Amino acid sequence: MTGGRLDAGVRDLLHRALHGYRDNPRASELLRHQLARYDQPLRVAVVGGWRSGKSTLLNALMGEEVAPVDGSAFTWYEDGPQPDATGYSTSHPPQRLTVLRSGTGMRVDLTGWRAGELRDIVVRWPARSLRQVTLLDTPAIGAADEQATDPVLARVLREADALLYLTRDARGADLRILGATREGVVGQAAPVHTIMVLSRVDESGGGRVDALLGARQLARRALRDPHVDSLCVTVVPCSGLLGLAGRVLGETEFTALAALARVPRAELEPYLLSAERFARGEPPAGLDAATRNALLERLGVVGIRLATTLVRTGCDNRVALAAELVRRSGLGELRESLNRLFVDRRHVLKARSALTAVEALLRDEPGPVTGDLLAALEQLLAGAHEFAESRLLAALRDGRLGFDAELAAEARRLVGGDGDEPAARLGIAPDATLAWLWETAAEARWRWREHAEDPGIALPQRRGAQVVARSCEGLLADLAAAHAR
Amino acid sequence: MAGIWLDALDDIARTCQEHGRGDLLQAVRLKRAHLLDPTLTVLVVGEPNQGKSQLVNAIVNAPVCPVGDGTTTVLPTVLRHAEVASATVVQTPLTRPGTPPAADPPAVQRTPVPTDQIAAGVGGSTGRLPGGGPAYIEIGLPRGLLGAGMVLVDMPGGGDLAAVGAGAPVAALARADTVLLVTDSTRDLAVNELNMLLHLTRSHSNVAVVQTKTDLVPDWRAVADRNRRHLADAGVPAPLVPVSAALRLHAAATGDHALNAESGFPALIALLRRHLAAKPDTLARAAVVLTARTVVEQLAAPLRAELTDQRSAEESAPMARLHAAQREVDELRRCATRWQNTLTDEMADLISDIEHDLRDRTRQILRMVDEAFETADPLVAWDAVAQWLEESLVEAAAANRRWLVQRCDWIARRVAESFARYGHGSLPPWPLTASAEYGAPVPELERPNVDRFTVGQKMFTGMKGSYGGLLMFGLALTLAGMPMINPISIGAGALFGGKSIRDEGKQLLRRRQATVKAAVQRHVDDFFIQVSKDSRDAARRAQRVLRDHFAALTDELQTAIIESLRSAKEAADTDAAARERRQREIQQRMIRLAELYEQAQQVTAARPAPLAPLA
Repeated sequence: MTGGRLDAGVRDLLHRALHGYRDNPRASELLRHQLARYDQPLRVAVVGGWRSGKSTLLNALMGEEVAPVDGSAFTWYEDGPQPDATGYSTSHPPQRLTVLRSGTGMRVDLTGWRAGELRDIVVRWPARSLRQVTLLDTPAIGAADEQATDPVLARVLREADALLYLTRDARGADLRILGATREGVVGQAAPVHTIMVLSRVDESGGGRVDALLGARQLARRALRDPHVDSLCVTVVPCSGLLGLAGRVLGETEFTALAALARVPRAELEPYLLSAERFARGEPPAGLDAATRNALLERLGVVGIRLATTLVRTGCDNRVALAAELVRRSGLGELRESLNRLFVDRRHVLKARSALTAVEALLRDEPGPVTGDLLAALEQLLAGAHEFAESRLLAALRDGRLGFDAELAAEARRLVGGDGDEPAARLGIAPDATLAWLWETAAEARWRWREHAEDPGIALPQRRGAQVVARSCEGLLADLAAAHAR
Repeated sequence: MAGIWLDALDDIARTCQEHGRGDLLQAVRLKRAHLLDPTLTVLVVGEPNQGKSQLVNAIVNAPVCPVGDGTTTVLPTVLRHAEVASATVVQTPLTRPGTPPAADPPAVQRTPVPTDQIAAGVGGSTGRLPGGGPAYIEIGLPRGLLGAGMVLVDMPGGGDLAAVGAGAPVAALARADTVLLVTDSTRDLAVNELNMLLHLTRSHSNVAVVQTKTDLVPDWRAVADRNRRHLADAGVPAPLVPVSAALRLHAAATGDHALNAESGFPALIALLRRHLAAKPDTLARAAVVLTARTVVEQLAAPLRAELTDQRSAEESAPMARLHAAQREVDELRRCATRWQNTLTDEMADLISDIEHDLRDRTRQILRMVDEAFETADPLVAWDAVAQWLEESLVEAAAANRRWLVQRCDWIARRVAESFARYGHGSLPPWPLTASAEYGAPVPELERPNVDRFTVGQKMFTGMKGSYGGLLMFGLALTLAGMPMINPISIGAGALFGGKSIRDEGKQLLRRRQATVKAAVQRHVDDFFIQVSKDSRDAARRAQRVLRDHFAALTDELQTAIIESLRSAKEAADTDAAARERRQREIQQRMIRLAELYEQAQQVTAARPAPLAPLA
């Protein structure tokens, strides 16, 4: 198993660093923290500019309204048996915060705290989605100072294993901020830890109901941009607002939407032209102002337009409408990407953040062992095929390489997209004999090597095939080692 | 009415010419032509995806600029009036860098684009010649608003807003009358947008912020309020107009006037019309003031820099030379004192050292002579000793003189060192190199007059001594009955006589030795006095020679330095006068510029209400 090799290498490096820095209490503390972090759930931070939809997306991912807690503090969402929140500030000892539950989520009582006083808030929340992932809601990163690395982003890169980077257009200042963070040997390696999310896509394109389709095109085009490609593993469009609405859609809201949908389109349309018209005017469905405001809050005017259209065209019960909203929001794809690219590959991401931390430590506090450790780190990175595999997995997911479906499926299987065990990679029964495994792997290796060297195939595909062939070689090496035992 | 601002503009142009700034003159001339042109150029700028193109579409009520997800305006789009809808890609050939902008722009290449391919044209994929210069797409539309003389320019949204206009094909910013900055309602104005506004308001009198997409956000009023506050905080005097292009287009499609009013566009169009109406007068005045300010700033900057440069640069070249010459004079004075002191001190040392050395040498000689005559008899050894003495003395004098010469030489070099920085620490033509003759000859060593012990004296002394012995023993023996003269008394007499002779001889030797010693002593003293006098004279002579030589050298140097000081002073004086003149000139020019600016200001002051700000 190639994954295990990287894992062992990183642990070994951490222990060696710990031994080398045993006289330095600060460094030892940091390394011990990294070792402890290695076995904790994956930390995924939601990062983005001001009003880019961070908290909404986080709510949509969790399916409950739990964010935002405090706009200027890092908010950690961990799995826990009871809803509970703890505030950490620079001046006070950690303090329990009151959690007020609401129908669709919770609110943390922050009375008595000044804005900016709290540095971290840890929220424990019973949710299945948090089993393997700790989500991190961050303050906005600013575009004001383009030279220096943003302090928020710097801290995120230090403390999180993976990023969901929210941007509206995958261009300009957003890319510059993200690009400024690629420092060091590890930073220069393949960016497997960032998914770029085109956020608030419901509002793009002048608020048309098919905005998400346009956003998908935009995402594909962005991925073809080498500048974007070098910064993230994939680009996913997602409307957090619609996704959240789909996940928490209540019966009353559905009833209201259904009532709206019953009004003839021509009659309703003038009221849906703008948010203000919908809120202030008197739509014929006889909804009171509070309900309309709640709907606006939940769906936005574009969302209401979309929802009424959906109800009219067949989603005539709450469950169907909710599912369709989630589907149209792109949330499903985002979660799938999150699971396949982050959660399933968490050992790669954990290794990556440990390596980043070690590298930063070596650069900040050079000691007698620095040279050796840096060399070991670079060797580890150079041999880490996992990053290439992660990249290929992402590329296979969004189909940008142009493999046909069958080949794509095989490639995904071989690079570990369906499981890391040799049998799972080779797609044969788990109780297969070593000889059989060997034969299948050798055959696959030969086939993909052929593929990689075929001049009649487009260059991106040949590169992908190279990665697959390399994975097969890794498998063969592992099998040989198993045979020797 | 137009006359006043035209006069002011012509004044500005003249000033540019006076200052020899062809580039500014060109700009002012362009501005003049542009201000006389009655059309109002409206530039629409902003970050990408803020709805710029949609805004333009909504203003003219036609879907001319392509909008939608990820559709990006690549070429600037210029909308002007035409009887029949048309579209053309206009491309200027690349001008070679370094060539000054010609008075008449080079011929442009115009490629007509079918109206159904406008989207591709704006996207930059159609109608553009490869390798050509910057291009823009020009769209003609039959619209009343455009017919009234308005030209709309939809700029591509740049990530870097400040770079917009730098080399833009229509030299957009320089020619725009009104700039609309587009920002959408889903968020507040960003820092870089505010920066761009500040930049714009410095060069354009009419800048407005258009907040689009109010239909999407229920709380757009709150956003608008916040944006107005941001503008006020940043000190940007730009009005903010919230609009919804979607509502406007819908209203146009359905002919709904209430909806149109709700879209916010009537306010925007009224603003643009007001600007259009105000262009020949108020706007032109404001533009003149801005032009005057830009020009005056541009012209004053080098002058001011020169002025401060001059004030700070007291150390101009002539002044620096003067100061250096003064320093030289001081240095020479110090040098003169230094070498004189050195010479005097060293000479005093030399004289005392030489004398001491001579004394030491003669003393040693004397001691050796003394030792020699302690035992030797001058009668026997005199000649040898005298010769040795003579030789030793001559040798001592020579050694002493050699040392004197060496020391003088060393002193001369030592003093010459003081002149090292002047390059010629020359030594005097040296008169002491050859061992100089003594002033007076040393007196001959006279043979001292020493008593010899003659035979007669010896006999006499022997007789005297033997008499006593004979008588003493004879008398005593007579008592024993022996005769007076008997062998015993004769023996004793002989004994006594012998002893007397020996004693006498010894005494005489002592006396002789003492006499000789005294004589030698006297001689050596004489010698010492003579030689030391000579040495002293020689040293004095050397001192005089050195003094004269170096004094002459100092005089020479002083003359040269004083000469250079005088010339430096003259140069500095003329330089100061020239600088004074230049300063007065610059100040006058500055005053003239200030007047020019004042004059331009009065163009607007004549009309107290410059541009009614929008509520």
